[in-house]
Amino acid sequence: MASYDLIPRMIPYMDRHLVFPLLEFLSFNKIYPDHDLLKAKYELLAKTNMVDFISELYKQIHNTDKVPSEFAIKRQEVLQTLENLQTEAQKVLDIIENPEVITALRQDKLQNLHFLREKYGLTDEMVYTLYQFAQFQYNCGNYGGASSLLYHFRILSTDHELILSALWGKLASDILDPNWDADAALEEVQKLRETIDQKNFASPLHQLQQRTWFIHWSIFVFFNHPKGRDSIIDVFFNPSYINTIQTSCPWILRYLTTAVVTNKRRKNILKDLIKIIQQESYEYRDPITEFIESLYVKFDFEGAQHKLKECEEVLSNDFFLVATKMEFIENARYLISETYCRIHLKIDISGLSQTLNLGKEEGEKWIVNLIRDTRVDAKIDFKENTVIMNQNHTSIYQQVIECTKGLSFRSQVMSSTIEKREAHQSSNAVEAVVE
Amino acid sequence: MDSEDSSDSDVKREVRSAKDKRLDALGASVKAIENAQKINDWVVIQNEFDKLNKIASKGPAGMNAIPRLYIKTIALLEDFLNETLQKEKDSKKKMNATQAKALNYMKQRIKKNNRQYEEEIEKWRLNPASEESEDSSAEEVKQKKKKTIVESDEESQDEDDNENDNDDGFTIVNKKAKPSVVYTSENLFRKLREVLEARGKKNTDRLEQIKILQKLLEVASTPYQEIRVLLALIPSQFDYNPSMSNYMNVDMWKSTLKEINQLLIILEDNPKYIIHEAAEEELEDKEPVVEAGQPPFTIRGSIVSFVDRLDDEFTKSLQNIDPHTTDYVDRLKDETELYATIVRGQIYFEKNALSESTSRMVMRRLEHLYYKPDQVIQTVENTVKTILPQSLESTITTSSSENDSTELIHSLCVYLYKKGESLLRTRAMLCHIYHHALHNRFYVARDMLLMSHLQDNIHQSDIGTQILHNRTMVQVGLCAFREGMVKEAQSCLQEICGTGRVKELLAQGLLLQKYMQLPPEQEKLDRQRQLPFHMHINLELLECAYLTCSMLLEIPSMAAAGSNLEARKKVISKPFRRMLDYNERQVFSGPPENTRDHIMGAAKALAAGEWQKCQELINAIKIWDLMPETQKIKDMLNRKIQEEGLRTYLFTYSTYYVTLGLNQLATMFSLPINTVTAIISKMIWNEELAASLDQVNNVVVLHRVELTKVQQLTLMFAEKAVSFVEANERTLEQKQTTGQNQRDQQRQKANQQHQNVEKRPAYQKRDGNQQRSRNNFNNVLGNSVRGRTQQNRYRS
Repeated sequence: MASYDLIPRMIPYMDRHLVFPLLEFLSFNKIYPDHDLLKAKYELLAKTNMVDFISELYKQIHNTDKVPSEFAIKRQEVLQTLENLQTEAQKVLDIIENPEVITALRQDKLQNLHFLREKYGLTDEMVYTLYQFAQFQYNCGNYGGASSLLYHFRILSTDHELILSALWGKLASDILDPNWDADAALEEVQKLRETIDQKNFASPLHQLQQRTWFIHWSIFVFFNHPKGRDSIIDVFFNPSYINTIQTSCPWILRYLTTAVVTNKRRKNILKDLIKIIQQESYEYRDPITEFIESLYVKFDFEGAQHKLKECEEVLSNDFFLVATKMEFIENARYLISETYCRIHLKIDISGLSQTLNLGKEEGEKWIVNLIRDTRVDAKIDFKENTVIMNQNHTSIYQQVIECTKGLSFRSQVMSSTIEKREAHQSSNAVEAVVE
Repeated sequence: MDSEDSSDSDVKREVRSAKDKRLDALGASVKAIENAQKINDWVVIQNEFDKLNKIASKGPAGMNAIPRLYIKTIALLEDFLNETLQKEKDSKKKMNATQAKALNYMKQRIKKNNRQYEEEIEKWRLNPASEESEDSSAEEVKQKKKKTIVESDEESQDEDDNENDNDDGFTIVNKKAKPSVVYTSENLFRKLREVLEARGKKNTDRLEQIKILQKLLEVASTPYQEIRVLLALIPSQFDYNPSMSNYMNVDMWKSTLKEINQLLIILEDNPKYIIHEAAEEELEDKEPVVEAGQPPFTIRGSIVSFVDRLDDEFTKSLQNIDPHTTDYVDRLKDETELYATIVRGQIYFEKNALSESTSRMVMRRLEHLYYKPDQVIQTVENTVKTILPQSLESTITTSSSENDSTELIHSLCVYLYKKGESLLRTRAMLCHIYHHALHNRFYVARDMLLMSHLQDNIHQSDIGTQILHNRTMVQVGLCAFREGMVKEAQSCLQEICGTGRVKELLAQGLLLQKYMQLPPEQEKLDRQRQLPFHMHINLELLECAYLTCSMLLEIPSMAAAGSNLEARKKVISKPFRRMLDYNERQVFSGPPENTRDHIMGAAKALAAGEWQKCQELINAIKIWDLMPETQKIKDMLNRKIQEEGLRTYLFTYSTYYVTLGLNQLATMFSLPINTVTAIISKMIWNEELAASLDQVNNVVVLHRVELTKVQQLTLMFAEKAVSFVEANERTLEQKQTTGQNQRDQQRQKANQQHQNVEKRPAYQKRDGNQQRSRNNFNNVLGNSVRGRTQQNRYRS
């Protein structure tokens, strides 16, 4: 199963701290040897400030109770710096949290800064300590604290580069702060996306990189937030993002495909997805994209059924998609049966149930449910044990009606715009005369 | 004028010396000639020239020196004559008869006359700035000086002779042929200078010069001398052939190649000298002293241009040699050595960090490699390894990469992407894509083509690069064909093969133009651009692949259109349709003879549902043998024919059936039943076929609804109405936007805002482009090449 594991491919695009939950998940799933994972975790975190945790890991790896003295030294250092930064940052926080200040703050950043400098002696360096402190907190694993500090920093700072990295920092903190009900992370994603899209990067390559990072990070949010699966479709199908996916990280297609399949309302996007999967099939394929491919490109229902089985396994081993597994299977079945019914006139129930990986009884139930939900217009012939589709041809009259439906409305709109325009022109003429 | 002159001289006869008188007479004639030159009056020039010669030759006794003025005049006259002749050739207007006659006469006379004074003219040319009216004393001084030079020359010769005698007892053989000139390493620099100064002058015997230089090279004793002589010798060999259209003599080419190699070897062995284009031109002819630890001594010169020129001459010779003779093959064998020299040059430049020259050499190297199959590249590389000494190692291409042609090309291209200027980058990219396509890596080639945005601005590049682009496109198309991607192949080949100007677009032959006459210069340029034969892409194979693709796409689409006129108008491949129509109009059609006949026959069989006959005909085409893995390609084609045959059959005959058995269809087209089901499912899903499958009875149920005439017309009417409304909307939209712009122009302020708003969309548009490039593959491909053809059309 390791061949379908995307985590090794994704790690280069993640932050250290973001990788940690992934590794945790892997050790839980036991795809890789435990010892290797422990080592990986250790190396991952060795550069962070979570000293206690690291020494714990060290013990586990080497099976000892002794810890090298350097850990203790580092611990001391970390605590020292923490204290220093805390005292300095506290000054700024005191100023900001002063209710008088809060009421006096305006929209204009420069003005605010000017005002704070005049009245409370707030300097740029002090604002910068806020940033440093946040970074330190983040490194220590105190994500909530880092998040709120960065929020303040962003309000005060005028340095665009730092604001961008503060945005990244805050997104990471919000992702790691396991508080999904709040919309904080989703908002952060939105903000970051706007910044990346609007910023003028020195080179297109840089922008591509930023987008790639953004795509990887945002998956955390999209698959955990209830509204995420709508947003992921909106964001990733944006031309510039789908382009990024195609150029630098085609494996994201798995997540996109899952999002589309599990999303009942956005079926029309499926066509675009099929096109993209087809185009990228030589660069990236896994059971999930292959499922779509065999269903909609090859029309190989048996193949789709095999792939669906594989999908189950892949999904249960994917950190992001575990939660959507059941939903995916359910929706995939719907897709199969829908396509199947659209092509066929008469279907053997047992055959269909087999295609859907269901028992005979279950299959019948499934079809009855389908018919009841009016997803399919069909009847069951119990004697022959078949389903008969009702062919609903659009009659010629229907076609003509469809064709001409919007015409009168469109003409009306047109005539009204012409009128408006004439009125506008005459008023313009009057204006010109007055001028 | 004559009488005046004589009377003038009469008056002054007593006071002037005979010599002065002569000079005066000369002056008068010269002036007359000059005047006549201004109005291009050759009759007068002819008369005066005769007079001039008379005066000059009948000089008083003892005055054997020819006046400088005379020499100057005849030299100038010669130049003017050549110029006039040149002009005469270019301009359509003829001179009148007497003038032309005079001109012709003069041409012969001057040629004959000037030969006598060759030496003097040469001398004058060397120093034309010296005073025109030299008095005799100055002349005499000069004479004396000359003598001393000659004497000293002789002295040194004597010394040399002595030395030679002392050394080994014999003298240089050349001495006998021209006893007055002896070349030694001591007087080498002076002789070299003389040769260099004579270079490019009229009347310089180029062959003679080359001989002199070769002798100089023999006597050169130090590396510095050798370098200097070689730097003079190589260009003079290139200069030997003045015409652009002729190619260099093969023997001379080989000797030049050897000399360039020699030069490179000297430079490799003597790292204290560097040849640099931007170096100061050294004036003293002394041996420079370079001590260890000091920066190397730079010599002005350009090895890059030597190698470039050598390569160009090689191409030129291949263009001119008949490719079907053994001469061509023999000539082609020289390529390996040339390639070795290029590699050697590249390594040399690399070592000396001359990055511009390096990238030029890398490009040359790439251009020798990109179109060749792996084995050839391997052999060439291995031979080069044996030719070059072991010590030469390139950092661009590591030894491991030299064993793998793809790796080699990759490393060369990457170097150019990083270092080269934009033109070289473009060319390198095209070569890289070509190479990928040649190795059946269609997706890689396609992605590189699209990601590089080459097609957006290929029309702006020079024609050579455009030709390379066309070649690349064709190769990508053929690659798609070999991989069985019929649609992609067709769209890649469409624009080039659809024009009927394939030869011209690929620079593999001139188009015979029936109606338009190309201007001669244009034709000359076109001729120079032609690719040598061994680089050609087989045009017949290309056409065959294109037509086969067209057949596989066009026949089902024609069947689908049926009797529907609108749909019939949708043409995928025009040339294919044209040929098919022509073929169908013929009353009798004999057995197929050429490739086209085969494909047309196959197309007709496919349309009639006889897929076996179609397969037979396609398989009978002989040219497939030129493709690697012929059998695989034939199998692929057979399979496609079966599938398309099934589709065509369904389109054509579905109206006559209520149900069709899947099993029967499978046996009819000998396809597995799964495939048949998949194909039909696809057609149903795409709404190409009004039918559905009956899983229980294993049949296709067709729902064909016959429309009455009225219904059909109503539908058409409704569709027309929709298109009317759409057209109206579009017109309104256009008017609105233009109106807005006008209003904006009226108001300055508003205009500024407008611009501000527009900046952002422009930026976003760029992203949009990137997107487009990937997804609308076919369209983009088409566009770019179409641009190219338009330009061509415009050009011709």
